[in-house]
Amino acid sequence: MPRPHTFDRRTFVTRTGTATAALALAGCLEFGEETDNGAELETAPEVIEVEDPPAAVYIPTHREAMRMLDPIEAGDIAIAPMLSYPHPFWIVAGSGEDAIERVEPEDGRGVHMMFTVWDRETGIVLPVDDGARVTVERDGEQVGSPLSPWTMISQEMGFHFGDNVSLPADGEYTVTVELPPISTTTTGALEDRLTDTETATFEFTYDEAFREEVVGGVEYFDESFWGTTGALEPMDHGDHGDHDDHDHQSGDDHHGDDHHDDGNHDGHGTADEHHESADGHGDHDDHGEHDDHDDHGEHHQHVPYSALARIGEYPGTILREPAAVDDGVPAENADLPRSGDAAVLVTVLESGSRLADGDEGYLLVSPRTPYNRVPLADMALSVTIERDGGETAELSLTQTIDGEYDLHYGASVEALEAGDSVTVTIDSPPQVARHQGYETAFLEMEDLEFVVPEVDGE
Amino acid sequence: MTLPDRSSLSRRDYVRGLVAAGGATALGACLDVTSDGPEPDVPSGTDDPASLPDRQHAWNDSLSTDADGTIQLPEHHVLCPLALSDAIADGTDIDDERRETVEAGLQTLERAYEWSNEGLVFTIGYTPAYFARFDDSLPDSVDLPDPEALTAQETPEFDEFDALLHLASDHPSVVLEAEEGLFGDREQLNGLEVETDLSDVFDRVVQHRRTGFIGEGLPAEHADVDGVPDSIHENAPFFMGFRSGFADSQATEDRVTIEDGPFAGGATMHVSSMAINLTQWFQQENHYQRVSKLFSPDHADEELAGEYGEALGGSSAMTPDRIDATEADARERGVVGHAQKAARAREDGEPLLLRRDFNTVDGDQPGLHFVSLQDEIDAFVRVREAMTGTDLEVARANSGILHYLFVNRRGNYLLPARDARAVPTPTSDSTDV
Repeated sequence: MPRPHTFDRRTFVTRTGTATAALALAGCLEFGEETDNGAELETAPEVIEVEDPPAAVYIPTHREAMRMLDPIEAGDIAIAPMLSYPHPFWIVAGSGEDAIERVEPEDGRGVHMMFTVWDRETGIVLPVDDGARVTVERDGEQVGSPLSPWTMISQEMGFHFGDNVSLPADGEYTVTVELPPISTTTTGALEDRLTDTETATFEFTYDEAFREEVVGGVEYFDESFWGTTGALEPMDHGDHGDHDDHDHQSGDDHHGDDHHDDGNHDGHGTADEHHESADGHGDHDDHGEHDDHDDHGEHHQHVPYSALARIGEYPGTILREPAAVDDGVPAENADLPRSGDAAVLVTVLESGSRLADGDEGYLLVSPRTPYNRVPLADMALSVTIERDGGETAELSLTQTIDGEYDLHYGASVEALEAGDSVTVTIDSPPQVARHQGYETAFLEMEDLEFVVPEVDGE
Repeated sequence: MTLPDRSSLSRRDYVRGLVAAGGATALGACLDVTSDGPEPDVPSGTDDPASLPDRQHAWNDSLSTDADGTIQLPEHHVLCPLALSDAIADGTDIDDERRETVEAGLQTLERAYEWSNEGLVFTIGYTPAYFARFDDSLPDSVDLPDPEALTAQETPEFDEFDALLHLASDHPSVVLEAEEGLFGDREQLNGLEVETDLSDVFDRVVQHRRTGFIGEGLPAEHADVDGVPDSIHENAPFFMGFRSGFADSQATEDRVTIEDGPFAGGATMHVSSMAINLTQWFQQENHYQRVSKLFSPDHADEELAGEYGEALGGSSAMTPDRIDATEADARERGVVGHAQKAARAREDGEPLLLRRDFNTVDGDQPGLHFVSLQDEIDAFVRVREAMTGTDLEVARANSGILHYLFVNRRGNYLLPARDARAVPTPTSDSTDV
């Protein structure tokens, strides 16, 4: 491997702190509004553009700061709300160049509201949307229209739901999230579950202390890193001392904030054992670890990061690129074949697999972000299978969430033989909104050709 | 309901607020500020009820059309829910005398106002809950089930009162006056003495009263309402920013008419009330994405819609090819249009629904009262299933406009033919009154 792809927080050079660093780095903020005590209202840090980012996953200018609220359990699922400052993101509807649009935050008070939803039994982060409905209230009055949050991926947060939400004033807010049943095909431990609408409610305080925490907590990286290929480490990963220190620094600045959650810091402490997330660090802990974290009690529940399993944990025969058919299985996620910078793992499960129909085998295609292994949802994939130069099958794959292999695209197939060619066609790229660093990747996605290797080569 | 504050609103917004508020005081204020003046020039109706169409829902021939031939609904609408008054709520006293009262009241409206945009058009419909009080069931020729949730995402409340008056006029004062006249708070309607009102038979269910508006430029007038962005096109007739109601995407009045049985000549009506998130739609999506999601990705690629649908003229351009492409668009383009999806429910190429929906800011939130006529409620359900599109392999946020709509209420109604519109029984043939 030529270079480390993930970016850990020791590399950051500037934290905006309160005003000083932001001004030094980003110039004067001109929001024109003042807080109650006459200070300038700083609702978001200056947004810095990366010039000519590559058409690939790249390192953004900064690491977002956020406040994590207590996870809420509701039926089969748990929801972890997170709040940051309103910031740009990109929404995707289609595959052409007009199909992606940068969303500019509105001026004034507001939050970037996010939440991660996971299945409590398996710990799997649910990476699909079936029409979540969010309503925000203040003093019993609804604020704005109801909204369906976007499905989003970010390097720090992995898959989550989110949107910018404008707020009329400082104060206490109550948020209700309704999550309808999952309609995506589910298999294994998820089959016949997640069938009820679940509702969760949380509260937060929006005030100067919050703004100081999330605006002041932003970490800017050295400019030389901006736009270079690679990705930030997931926020739940390692370095908790640093992270805690960072949170407490901003946390110390505010008073009387009920929602600043010490439990989360403990949560970070337990995160290591459940979830390492970036490449090249130890063994992947199985999602089944949930029993363990239940023991910590609800206030210590950590928020899982939506990382897929490592290559070595997939069963069956991992397919290779034609030029690498005699090499071993790729060691690292980043070594997998890429399309539109997505790493694509393809494996064929033998006949008798619980995922296959009857006696057939099962072709499992798992596109993921190249560094953090975040599943890429809401794609349309098809495959063409050829043997001895003749086409033997053309199949549309079905998006599926499995209790063990998480999100993938799959189909039952007749037995494949060594030397068979499997071409994966991306009919449409992931229709998922993106935070900075992902918006130029996973859009123009070329076909990928794979070959079934000799099983002895495994 | 308190009246809107004149000083803080545009004239049109103030008037809209008055329609929403309802009542005699609102009507007085409305007459004070509209260009009509205290005695608006509203054309009178007819003394000959037989000259009016047999069908209550026969509005089209009397409504105006735009330059492209698209029928223009009246600009101002009120949905006025009614409950049988307590004395007759058990149904046993619904007799010819009550029918005469209701019929006389409704004929008063027809005498007072021309059946047109400039005058007044209206319907009265009855819920399954209304018919449930009778020993007899509705005949098989009428498909009027209780309303129910139609998607996994919604948990609507239901219209369980007895009846609904839908009043529509280009004059805001007319819809207010008509409503007041029917309930005894007005001595004259458009200069005509009111002899009979409905308050012996019906009580108004004010908490479920709904109002709204439609027409080029009206949505943009409400940009001061929380949740209505400034960026909505100044000429757009609907909150979603585009024209709608094209002749080729509307069922004909014949198509939605019940053909057989005692309610032949009637129709069914579905009313769903929903909030719309216009912030995401206008502030976050781009025009290309909006056209893709509202019409079809082909409409976006071919730039068929123009800025607010004006380039379409009088046609939705929803060709069979574009309808047939829905499934392929879902997989290969990652997005499908709302109109494209819904058009899959057409039968023999004909749309099943006659939409008479309108925008609202009831509750100071942007929304839509979706009023749909069809020969049977099941036709609405089939179209809604096609629009929901659970069969399509596409991200929900890119499946038409599902992502932006939040259904809060649903109601099903029977609109009897005009001669059976007054408190009918489930088996009553046209009742002579």
